Amino acid sequence: MKDQVTVIGVGCTKFGDNFDQSYEDLVVEAAQAAFADAGIEPERIEAAWLGTFSPHAGHGKASVSLGDALRLYGKPISRVENYCATGTDAFRHAAMAVAAGVYDVVLVVGAEKLKDRSVRGLASDGRHPYRDDGLTAPGMFAMAANRYFHQFGGGREALARVAVKNHHNGSLNPKAHFQMRVTEEQVLKAPLVAWPFGLYDCCPTTDGAAAAILCRADLARQFRADPIRVKGIGLAVTSGRPWYDSAFDYVGFEATRAASRQAYRMAGVADPVKEVDLAEVHDCFTWTEITNYEDLGFCGKGEGMRFIGEGRSALGGDLPVNPSGGLKSFGHPIGASGVRMIYEVATQLRGQAGPRQVPGAELGLVHNLGGPGAVACVVLLGQ
Amino acid sequence: MVGLTDYSCYIPRGRLARSTIAAAWGAAPRPGWKAVRGFDEDSLTLGQAAAWPLIQRNGPAGALYFASTSSPYWQRSAASLIAAACDLPPDVATADLGGSLRSAATALRAAFDAVAAGARRHALVVAAESRDPAPESEQEMAFGDAAAAVAVGAEEVIAELAGWAARSDDFLDEWRREADPHVHSLASKFSLRGGYQANVVAVGRKLLEQAALEPAGIAIAALASPDGEAHRAAARALGIPPERLQDPRMNDAGVTGAAMPLLLLAQALDRARAGDWILAIGYGDGAEGFLLRATDRLERMERPRLAPEALAIEVPTYPLYRKLRESLRQRGGGTELSNVLWQREEAENIRLRGTLCPRCGRVQFPRTRVCAGCRNSQGLAEKPLGRRGRVFTFTRDFLYDAPASPNIMAVVDLEGGGRFLCQMTDADPERVEIGMEVELVLRRLRESASMHHYYWKCRPRS
Repeated sequence: MKDQVTVIGVGCTKFGDNFDQSYEDLVVEAAQAAFADAGIEPERIEAAWLGTFSPHAGHGKASVSLGDALRLYGKPISRVENYCATGTDAFRHAAMAVAAGVYDVVLVVGAEKLKDRSVRGLASDGRHPYRDDGLTAPGMFAMAANRYFHQFGGGREALARVAVKNHHNGSLNPKAHFQMRVTEEQVLKAPLVAWPFGLYDCCPTTDGAAAAILCRADLARQFRADPIRVKGIGLAVTSGRPWYDSAFDYVGFEATRAASRQAYRMAGVADPVKEVDLAEVHDCFTWTEITNYEDLGFCGKGEGMRFIGEGRSALGGDLPVNPSGGLKSFGHPIGASGVRMIYEVATQLRGQAGPRQVPGAELGLVHNLGGPGAVACVVLLGQ
Repeated sequence: MVGLTDYSCYIPRGRLARSTIAAAWGAAPRPGWKAVRGFDEDSLTLGQAAAWPLIQRNGPAGALYFASTSSPYWQRSAASLIAAACDLPPDVATADLGGSLRSAATALRAAFDAVAAGARRHALVVAAESRDPAPESEQEMAFGDAAAAVAVGAEEVIAELAGWAARSDDFLDEWRREADPHVHSLASKFSLRGGYQANVVAVGRKLLEQAALEPAGIAIAALASPDGEAHRAAARALGIPPERLQDPRMNDAGVTGAAMPLLLLAQALDRARAGDWILAIGYGDGAEGFLLRATDRLERMERPRLAPEALAIEVPTYPLYRKLRESLRQRGGGTELSNVLWQREEAENIRLRGTLCPRCGRVQFPRTRVCAGCRNSQGLAEKPLGRRGRVFTFTRDFLYDAPASPNIMAVVDLEGGGRFLCQMTDADPERVEIGMEVELVLRRLRESASMHHYYWKCRPRS
């Protein structure tokens, strides 16, 4: 599939507590921004994929939630759901359909309206009523982080460095949910959420949508001079209940390792830390970013804390990670996040990222992780 | 020879100082402590915890009788759920006895009868109590939560049944109507003399007469006591020296209601010597008692020995005690009830059975049709999970809306293979660590759909 599919337009709403916007408002804003960016009319779209994780009454439930929002009727639309990797998986389906030669121009929208609730946090529908009682999203990753620290040493200070970096990057990004910087001391003194995670170790609950328009590579120049090429895609699934697996070591995620191997092989990337110029990775919690460095092959297992400690993933480092601010600052509207990462990497590769621009970026990596580290999708985009 | 073959006690880890209660009400200080259940315990879970070691040591029993005046259900058998959680086969004869503080003695008599008649080879009698006393009442000072269980059989007996006697007496001293949340009591000299003492002494005398035994021949008198004091007067009236009395544990357990007769009997067995005569009497609406004689086998067995709780958890304040009593009752809503799911997954969720792969030997939970280790799908067999293990990893979760925050989630490597995810209970969150030894315990998880929901948690092993 390498170089057969291009991204010719991207769009993204402001992420945040978008109380005055409905799900449809978010979808329309992101999609129309992408249409405008690609310079096409909606009629040009031949097929579309909608990524939404958590449907609510009246929205996000099926293909119709995209069709009705855009008044896009009579065309093939599918809703994709794959835990927190929903957005990138929707993108992957669209890319495969274009690569297969079925369609020339297609639309991907990732959208999530998490704040239409009168209580805090995520809804926990669909959990097992007994076995999963007491399990929360931060709790799942916290259990892994504790085992990681047990095996490799280190602790909350390493996590705080990730929060400080991603809050700094988010402060340079007007679309990010959070624009405020934090100090290591603030992070360490914040209220605990699930040990070892404090408040600033956790991504927020966010509303938002992002969109991308994909086009056959040989037609892309009809639309714009600087299309972004899809270099590689991988997706891997491991157990969604890893806590029952006696062989699971809890210090990283095989889904990420397998998905990145697939993507690197497709793209011909041999040494990611040298070849990848920037990465948008799934930092749902600060520790997740550290294990992602390792699972994506940026460093060895157990070396992620040094990777952040030495500033290698900071803006200005040799492999800036989450220049957008990441899930940590940009926010994490679940189904939207993966497409939002595509948006960020495309913006960076075009050199339009303003103060957070990674100079001379030519190859960007997107990594989306779902469930308890069970679903990972890696996308490599280049010029 | 019919008698007892094993015994077990379970006292919850919570301890409340009576001075804490007194201070809350501006009353004069009172001595001692009482045992209080955790927010996730009730008489059913206390009973299951007492019963399980007996099943573990001796294998399945043919009958399981559960006695309590505080069963969590008016209609729904606690005995059947306890039997399932102990993974007893469905042909076990279960019965729930209640209605009287004497019900444990009644259940024990029924077990002796069943075994003596040859109807069952082994029977288990479980007694548990977790009564909610009225705030600022004498019961609040006295009532403690506890459970005990004994195994009855005709072989390998540790204490032989030498006599039984009972009296029925519609004496009005303590009651709870259908809808009453708390026990009503007419505690007075009249009640103690005319109710407790009259019945206990009458039953005691009858047992001594039947065996032609002098009172001084009783090595241990396990007389259930309504207040921690009245049993002394009963012993005096019977002519039994006070040093022969089994301590009712008012200073660390309290008045444990229907559980007390078995709790005292179990402690008598902890210290009895071969040949000792044990007099055990339960009181309530009359009295019922037994004369037992310890055998050589009791001295040879490794006795459970109820030691002071090494991992006791002090309930530091009265408001926290009230929360422990009431929080679960207030936690409604949540997940929809499916009796389809409950039934289909009973083997896993209540009986704790997983799957064993015959090819690679991996034990897995929940039940699987394809082995997670080698993808084999031939000959996979049900396998009871070990109920002890070590913490592989954990977290203290402050986000989860639990009555006790932080909620501890733990991943446990089980003895005999397999890994389990569950909440941890009865633990100081700050002292949880990777590698710590835990045991799985049945607890009340939640209330929803007008039903109590039970599942397994782990707790540090003492």
